[in-house]
Amino acid sequence: MKINEAAVFRWVVIFGVAGAAVIAVTLLTRPLIGALLGLALVIAGCIYGYRWAAQKRREVSSEK
Amino acid sequence: MESASVAVGHADHHHHGPPEAHESSRIDRQTLGILLFIVSEVMLFGAFFAAYFFLRVVVDPPSWPPEPFELPVAVAGMNTAILVSSSFTIHYALESIRRGNRAGLKLGLVATWILGATFLFIQLNEYAHIGFSARDFGFGSIFYSLTGLHGAHVFVGLLLLSFATIRAFRGHFGPAAKDHLGVELPGIYWHFVDIMWIVVYVTVYIL
Repeated sequence: MKINEAAVFRWVVIFGVAGAAVIAVTLLTRPLIGALLGLALVIAGCIYGYRWAAQKRREVSSEK
Repeated sequence: MESASVAVGHADHHHHGPPEAHESSRIDRQTLGILLFIVSEVMLFGAFFAAYFFLRVVVDPPSWPPEPFELPVAVAGMNTAILVSSSFTIHYALESIRRGNRAGLKLGLVATWILGATFLFIQLNEYAHIGFSARDFGFGSIFYSLTGLHGAHVFVGLLLLSFATIRAFRGHFGPAAKDHLGVELPGIYWHFVDIMWIVVYVTVYIL
């Protein structure tokens, strides 16, 4: 993935959708449930980011 | 030696050798610089969020926001929509210049600037009417710290957009990636400011 404005814009969309989901769940249930969903999304994002970074490291090391 | 200097001189023009010693072939220096800056900004916001959650969870007041304070959730929600819209307009501006559409670039930049200025104006208006100050307990301090920190970033973003817009109207940018870095980097920064506001809004106003 090339890092440019278009790539960062995708993150705006991802955060926007995630934020809308947390807002919807919070308004429909309780703030605690919304906070738990937010925490779950953050953890999922961290796992995804870790795997993406690990894959990038493998690609770089295989190119050398 | 001569071939090395030739390679350095044509680093951007179909050069097959290694990049300069202080350059990466994967990312240009300017983009790397703004990304490292954003990483440091994330840590700064992280410190403020840590203070917020300490007050909210560890101190654990009976109600949040404490009585009799109320947050204007709907107005801030409208403001969120305005700021998120500005990410779409800056993206439109950059897509336009990538296709060589200078009119689209100018339109996108002006629209982004207006949306950003509107966001800042509404936030200042919110401060004027919200009914509590930064001196009103920990809640007031952390509310103004978090939203004010973000507002300062919007202000800096508007300054960067102003320079980019002036340069766009003077015909400075072109379709090649290296010819519109002056819009690309403010665009990345602006997206970061938008993402941070989504997190601030959900955390402070909704949860």
